[in-house]
Amino acid sequence: METVIEGTEEFGNDAYKALFEGIMSDIGKAVHVEKARLVLRPEVPFFVFSLLLKAEPESKRISDVASVRGEDGNVFVTISDERYAPEVLSRLWARYSRERVEQQTRFDIAVRAASVAEVEETVVSSGEEALREIVGALWRSMPEGIKARHNMGSGRVVTIMATEENVQPWMKEEAAAVHASMGG
Amino acid sequence: MFEVLMYDGGVYRSAELYELIEDVGGVVINSMRSSQMLTVTMSVPEEDRAAIEELCTDIGGTVKEVPLAGTEIAVIGPTLGRHHMPHPICDIAEQLRQYGAISVVMGLARGRGKATAQISMDEINIINEYDAAVFMMGNFKSCIEDKKDLLEPLDVPLVLVCGPEPEGMEDVCDAVVSGVGRKCERMRTADERRKLVEIADTVVRLLDARRETLSEDPLYVHPAELKQLLETYEPIDMCLRPAPIVLLLGGLRVKIPYSEHREYLENLDVFGRRLGDIARIRPSRISDSSTIIEIMTVSEVEDRDAYRAEYGA
Repeated sequence: METVIEGTEEFGNDAYKALFEGIMSDIGKAVHVEKARLVLRPEVPFFVFSLLLKAEPESKRISDVASVRGEDGNVFVTISDERYAPEVLSRLWARYSRERVEQQTRFDIAVRAASVAEVEETVVSSGEEALREIVGALWRSMPEGIKARHNMGSGRVVTIMATEENVQPWMKEEAAAVHASMGG
Repeated sequence: MFEVLMYDGGVYRSAELYELIEDVGGVVINSMRSSQMLTVTMSVPEEDRAAIEELCTDIGGTVKEVPLAGTEIAVIGPTLGRHHMPHPICDIAEQLRQYGAISVVMGLARGRGKATAQISMDEINIINEYDAAVFMMGNFKSCIEDKKDLLEPLDVPLVLVCGPEPEGMEDVCDAVVSGVGRKCERMRTADERRKLVEIADTVVRLLDARRETLSEDPLYVHPAELKQLLETYEPIDMCLRPAPIVLLLGGLRVKIPYSEHREYLENLDVFGRRLGDIARIRPSRISDSSTIIEIMTVSEVEDRDAYRAEYGA
């Protein structure tokens, strides 16, 4: 992740770079970010955090994160992407009940009396959910008292502008310019 | 001047240590036994320190200085939110504990933001009950300087800990330690640990100055002596809260309700005097379940006695 900071305070710039990268890594979202541009003007206060994601957040189905095969009316799932293992199990439990879903090993799950197509199509992570988590991570890294916020999102770019009191037109314009500069 | 030391060793021949502390006119602030191990925090006259150290070494223990023993310190953040509260504040509180203080972490209800940050009268009164306060702020100089109003009403030795070096804060706090702002991880590196020591040393320096002032006109009774008298009172003895009696530089925080125990506390016999005559007793501002005993100085008691003798009670 490449992070570009534009700010008016030297100490704050360095500290916020470390803070932002730390929080994104803690929440596991740093791997999804290609580039980040942070505009920090605490004296206004006016903050813009803009992210260029590696890929547009989209829905993940079980077939995207695991291999699925059917045998004697049962379905066997082998998880290949470990990050989605808890979600796969919980979605299968929710759909087929715990009685029909057996976790044989950490990555192998057997589902009794199910169809392969149905299991394959089960959504484990929606794009909207992933986007919400990224926005949540951005909010967490912004200063706490800066509550008046304006979000922008298009394609792979997510931008959040924040200030303390009323959002002025020039703030939205400047945030839109940052958003556009990131490709949004 | 008294010095506060901590003995860390076995229980073997510990009776001799207690006896020596008593002989030199010192007091036991806290004593904690775990199986065969014993930790004793004591306050002893400066000139008898060598004798205490010699005995402690002789009985197989070690002695270390705990310069903040017998104090209660608040570590304050602008809010309790995850943006302000975690890591640095907890690390500072832990460092102060290692120096022997009872440290308390608190956040303001409306301390966030730049122009909208506030401190309430209740919060001011609660913070003023502590011996000292460490106020933690963030990474932006302009935000720190704008929050000057939060510190202005506080009337305790105050250390401001923040990222950049602010300007114009000298008149609202006693010391500033810069280089520690908002962080998303523990302070683990050598530099960060040095900062924690710097913060704790700054608090020690401020409280030493306070102790020096107190020694010019000492308290009528040492808080540790009063603690010993109160420990036998059943509601305190039965109190399940951690540290039912907390030593302050100028008195004690006793964790029993003022409204229920006022009469006992006022009439407690302290070396021939009523406690109510030598101390100001009031409910804590935190909640009614604690009582603050503020011991008067010798000159205050004498002045009060002289006034009573002349004009009656």
